[in-house]
Amino acid sequence: MSSATAKESFMPAPAQNAAALPWLAETAAIEKDKAVNWVKALRATGAESFARTGLPTLGWEGWQYTNLRPLSSVKFHYSADAAVFDASRLPAPLLDSYRIVVVNGQYQPKLSSLPKSVTVQSLMDAATGHAQGLEDALVRVGDLAQVPLVALNSAYLRDGFVLNVAKNADVDKPVEVLFFNTGNDAAIYPRVLYRLAENSGATIIERHLGMGSYFTNIYTAIAQESASRLRYYRAVNESGNSFHINMAAVQLQKNAQFEGFSMATGGKLTRQEYQLQLLDKDVCCSIGGVYLINGQESHDFTVLADHFEPGGKSAQHFRGVLDDQARTVFQGKIYVRRSAQKTDGYQSHHALLLAPTAEASAKPELEIYADDVKCSHGATSGQIDPVALFYLKSRGIPEQAAKALLAEAFINEAIEQVTLEPLRELHRARAAQWLAERHT
Amino acid sequence: MLKIENLHVNVAGRAILKGINLEIQSGQVHAIMGPNGSGKSTLSYVLAGREGYEVTQGKITFNGQSLLEMEPEDRAAAGIFLAFQYPVEIPGVTTINFLKTAINSIRKKRGEKEMEPAAFLKLQKEKLTKLGMDAEMLKRGVNVGFSGGEKKRNEVFQMAMLEPKLAVLDETDSGLDIDALKIVSDGVNALRSAERSFLVITHYQRLLNYIKPDVVHVLAGGLIRKTGGPELALQLEEKGYAEYYGEGEAA
Ligand SMILES: Nc1ncnc2c1ncn2[C@@H]1O[C@H](COP(=O)(O)OP(=O)(O)OP(=O)(O)O)[C@@H](O)[C@H]1O
Ligand SMILES: [Mg+2]
Repeated sequence: MSSATAKESFMPAPAQNAAALPWLAETAAIEKDKAVNWVKALRATGAESFARTGLPTLGWEGWQYTNLRPLSSVKFHYSADAAVFDASRLPAPLLDSYRIVVVNGQYQPKLSSLPKSVTVQSLMDAATGHAQGLEDALVRVGDLAQVPLVALNSAYLRDGFVLNVAKNADVDKPVEVLFFNTGNDAAIYPRVLYRLAENSGATIIERHLGMGSYFTNIYTAIAQESASRLRYYRAVNESGNSFHINMAAVQLQKNAQFEGFSMATGGKLTRQEYQLQLLDKDVCCSIGGVYLINGQESHDFTVLADHFEPGGKSAQHFRGVLDDQARTVFQGKIYVRRSAQKTDGYQSHHALLLAPTAEASAKPELEIYADDVKCSHGATSGQIDPVALFYLKSRGIPEQAAKALLAEAFINEAIEQVTLEPLRELHRARAAQWLAERHT
Repeated sequence: MLKIENLHVNVAGRAILKGINLEIQSGQVHAIMGPNGSGKSTLSYVLAGREGYEVTQGKITFNGQSLLEMEPEDRAAAGIFLAFQYPVEIPGVTTINFLKTAINSIRKKRGEKEMEPAAFLKLQKEKLTKLGMDAEMLKRGVNVGFSGGEKKRNEVFQMAMLEPKLAVLDETDSGLDIDALKIVSDGVNALRSAERSFLVITHYQRLLNYIKPDVVHVLAGGLIRKTGGPELALQLEEKGYAEYYGEGEAA
């Protein structure tokens, strides 16, 4: 990753990137199945684009802080075969909920259960059945050359599912989507589409976990019609040898409400990116998350809140705890277009470093073209407050436990924003457990 | 119980305590009075083991143990408690959770069993009632949003729960209204026993009407300038500290 190649990535269309080609070696395998033309075309475009760019390097816009070298040093393999696994090893649902099970990116209808107001189809079934508007929803990802990982995901477009919530439906229980990954240097490329019809409401809890070593590169599209309400939760706890990259593109129509929250507690390298498009008036969205990482782990939250029309609200609240040599990045941007008057935007990131060797970077940005807006941001990174630590110790609490207590309090302030109470409790417990395990 | 010998302490490279000698017997109450900046809180922090207070000379023994090498949490387990002059706010940690953790950490260190939740609840209720405090306060973050007086009361509540052998009260009376002063003093007096000692730092003789000291010390310019009985506090009230400033020192 010399600076020379970094610069080249900004130049127009170099022929091919030798390092990119091994990533595309298994695309032929999926061409055997019968896919509709636009799917084939999208795969070809994705492959072509990725062949030129390869993985983003540190010179790429948005990738200055996350180095993908550990990812490129492993040779991952995509398998088009049906996922082989032992269903009895799947963990029980977190809460009383409906369920969708996805193993190595492949939707498992037999293990899933849903109410009438929600329909789910595997991506290929939906495409074959000419599901209305699907092509639009899947292809509207912008210029693939700008998003190499989405291009790569597109080159392998096959796995994943499409979920629809019917108009006016209010799904009575959360839908848990269990992404279970397993393998030995497996490459997994799911594409997921959540569509909420007008005035519908749903809560989705994605869980990402697994065994072995793998790279899961997900593209999640969320399309919310007017006045729809979605709570989109992600709990990422991948195996210690794994890479998790997600791009969530969220499109919000008039009066839509979106609450996103993500908790990351495991995985060698995790990047969760959100592109929120507040496309019409009076959209209200909040996106937040926490991470607790240690060892050599790294985590990246990259968020763009793009305000198109007046009266939109977007809030970003992120916090994280880092130990050992862990590294994190927060890149948050609020983009307010000329017409988006009365926008209310906020973003914050606070990192707590438990060790001086951990490193947190933050790049908060405001880009505002309207004149009547309220936008602000704040970012901090610091160590445990020594005065508070002494207070706890002076009451008899040993140093490690006192630190854990303070870190727990710190992280709970961000978990607070999860409005689904039982999940909030589980997140709190998970954070406490993570902190307790650190020093036993 | 506590013996301080020739204690010299530097803070940020400056000599603050310049040879303190002090001995407190089991069951005694000692009061320390002295002008602002004379080193009273410094002494209390050194007893509790706060970082950044560099002991350049002298030693402190507590029930035969040498205190200065011990971590703050070990001193707490040995029975030392400091009611802070400025109690610390800890957002996100409830007082209840904090105290449970503290009590059980101390018990663990002493090789005792954890306190049963029911026993904890009973103890807590009893102490709250005595101090005229509302249980609701314990569910908030430690000292977060508490008034000055509420913070001081919370310090005394913690002391009552932890039942230390030596309690150092650093200006616990400052910021208390007249009724609260009485309630808090009653709380302290209820804990007085032959096995428990107190070091009470205050600016006001009034407190000593409620908590009757056995010995009163004047600390000025980093040294104990005079030691006497309760009548010393009355004298100070009248005459101030002027006569205790050493050469070259000013108020
Ligand atoms: N962290 C520090 N850095 C520099 N100087 C300090 C520090 N802490 C205390 N001091 C100084 O040490 C001296 C003694 O402070 P201390 O708090 O012990 O006084 P005190 O007797 O408790 O006063 P008060 O009656 O106002 O509470 C003061 O001059 C103070 O400014
Ligand atoms: Mg003081």
